[in-house]
Amino acid sequence: MNNFKFFPMHIANKVCVAFAMLAFIPSLSQAQVPTLSNPTVSIALDGYYQNEERLMTERVEGFGLGETELAFSASIDDMFFGKLTTVFEMHEGESEVNVEEAFIQTMALPNGFTLRAGRFLSDIGYLNNQHLHSDAFTSRPSAYRAFLGGHYFDDGIRVSYIAPTDLYWTLGAEVFTGKSIRAEDELGEREYDSTGVYTAFTKIGGDVSIESSWQLGLSYLRNENGQLIHQDHSEEVHEDEHDEAHSAAYTGKNTFIADFVFKWAPNGNYKYQHLTLSAEYFSVSDFMADEFDGEHLIDEDHEAEAKAEDRHNAWYISGVYQFSPSWSAGLRYGKLNSYALDEEHFELQKLKETEFSVAWHNSHFSTVRLEVSHQSSEGFEQAHADNVISLQYVMTLGAHNAHQF
Amino acid sequence: MRINFKSVLSVVLLSLSHNAFAQLNIFACEPEYAALAKEIAPDARIYSATTAMQDPHQVQARPSLIAKMRQADLVICAGAELEVGWLPMLQMKAANARVRSTDEGLFFAAEHVQTLDQDSNADRSMGDVHSLGNPHVHFSPQRILTLAQALTQKLIQLDEEQAQTYIQRLDDFEKRWILAMKKWQQSANQLNGMKVIAYHSSFRYLFDFTGIEQVADLEPKPGLPPTSSHLASLLKQAKNDNVTAIVVASYQSERGANWLAEKANLPVVVLPLSVGGNEQSHDLFSLYDSVLALLTQVSMRKD
Repeated sequence: MNNFKFFPMHIANKVCVAFAMLAFIPSLSQAQVPTLSNPTVSIALDGYYQNEERLMTERVEGFGLGETELAFSASIDDMFFGKLTTVFEMHEGESEVNVEEAFIQTMALPNGFTLRAGRFLSDIGYLNNQHLHSDAFTSRPSAYRAFLGGHYFDDGIRVSYIAPTDLYWTLGAEVFTGKSIRAEDELGEREYDSTGVYTAFTKIGGDVSIESSWQLGLSYLRNENGQLIHQDHSEEVHEDEHDEAHSAAYTGKNTFIADFVFKWAPNGNYKYQHLTLSAEYFSVSDFMADEFDGEHLIDEDHEAEAKAEDRHNAWYISGVYQFSPSWSAGLRYGKLNSYALDEEHFELQKLKETEFSVAWHNSHFSTVRLEVSHQSSEGFEQAHADNVISLQYVMTLGAHNAHQF
Repeated sequence: MRINFKSVLSVVLLSLSHNAFAQLNIFACEPEYAALAKEIAPDARIYSATTAMQDPHQVQARPSLIAKMRQADLVICAGAELEVGWLPMLQMKAANARVRSTDEGLFFAAEHVQTLDQDSNADRSMGDVHSLGNPHVHFSPQRILTLAQALTQKLIQLDEEQAQTYIQRLDDFEKRWILAMKKWQQSANQLNGMKVIAYHSSFRYLFDFTGIEQVADLEPKPGLPPTSSHLASLLKQAKNDNVTAIVVASYQSERGANWLAEKANLPVVVLPLSVGGNEQSHDLFSLYDSVLALLTQVSMRKD
């Protein structure tokens, strides 16, 4: 399979990006106000060292670059806003240039409606639409890595509506190609739906007091290509393909996500101290197509469990406290239960992860993070280390990006 | 398919359209602008996104703010990039076309008055500086007068029916403000030449108006917290420069200031950054009264 999903040529991409960078470098050096002719340009630099590799991550052992991002955005006219985000990242030891966002969005539809089209981050879940460089940990929770390939962006369209109420209430629906979250096709002979993913989500939120705010979200993702179909293994499987970056390790037809976020700061003043608590639950069900039924595909040890629930699930809970403008610390715990097809059997896999991170912020724009993670896994092919220590920097330059809640 | 969607959409939109425009919905980024709006449009439904106890640079684009902006007819902010970390996100998420452009329901104070300390060569190594100048313009009495006039124009543009009310309210406000300015000018004359060490450039316009000299900043660079080496250098300066007081704003940490105050034997004055920053300041008039009274007190102590 081609490494570059949406662009045939590696080089063309690089040239384009380099050209775009050159064109906008002058506006970077002066912190000017974005105007029509002066788009917002921002760069995020992310580098790390880690002593071991982790399951389902792109980060290799030793030194490496994380997601290095170059983004341009501006109002196109009174109706449209546009954004392009290119990402330089490592994938299986090679450096890649990917377009992560290239979308237009309406800014002037009346009555709270917004349309977005192109390539963009899906608004399902809490973390998915947030950029990686604003995360408090070096890697996304296992739920995101297993089911969404880290974070799910795709080509498609979104319509969203926000209600004119004091309680924040938004509704949205998306349609995507679903290429990165297709079920595996070991024999390379499966016909997929070209429009494979439909999502619907709603979020509500508000303030409890001047000091605390919350948001609750519910999302549903239907993946027409999410089920594994029964393929005859008498033919030899060709293993020449390698996975694309951001492809999901586990897929299913129906995904439900529930997410909750709570933030607190003394007097509501985020300058000195603040606390963020978040939790998400993922259920990915119907990963076996009907052909599997009636056959003895379930590993005998786990037969009862797997038959009872044709369902992967994962959750995490995370707390991050900034105790001074320069220091913050975070603790996260997450669990994943998944089933992997091994020859003719579904094998139960379990992963538990605990991460503790401490970050130093020289300013609003620069972060150096030390993270210790402990993982215990069962049923995974590769035996990974129990403890991973990583040291990471994340810095942004160019325009001051506005952050999401 | 597309045509269908459009026609369905327009029917829905028409039926929902503006059924409650009677009361103007005003979203103020900072409490000083909520207070100013209240002077000119007392019947409007006014909401302030921040309080005087919060750093206006660092505000979360939280759900409640998106919901309020969704309903706003007018958004009033300081501008000059003060809200650059959160206002664009609110605008994006609130999907409210009425408050997207300064031609319509968006009002940036800094666009209507001359800002101080503009620096086109500003870069991040200098800290969190704004190339468009200092955005904390609300402590300049003259500029408040100009802003009141500009805001009245904006209100009339958005709500012509009540134009007469707005003009009357402005007239009344101007009279009271000019009268108060005379009183404040007397206090300012007494404070002229006083030297202070302050936190950030929050009171740049107040010091400009009163002739108070900010000889040093508790922040080593704008937006960066005081460091111990920086505080040590301030201690030397405080002894040499005949400093009267250390001034911090209501949302700022007093830790660095208190350390320095103790070592240099100087008083710390906590000034309300805005309306609601202390018990006394419940509108713009009492905010100025309170701030000038606090500074006068500390200058008298010295004499």
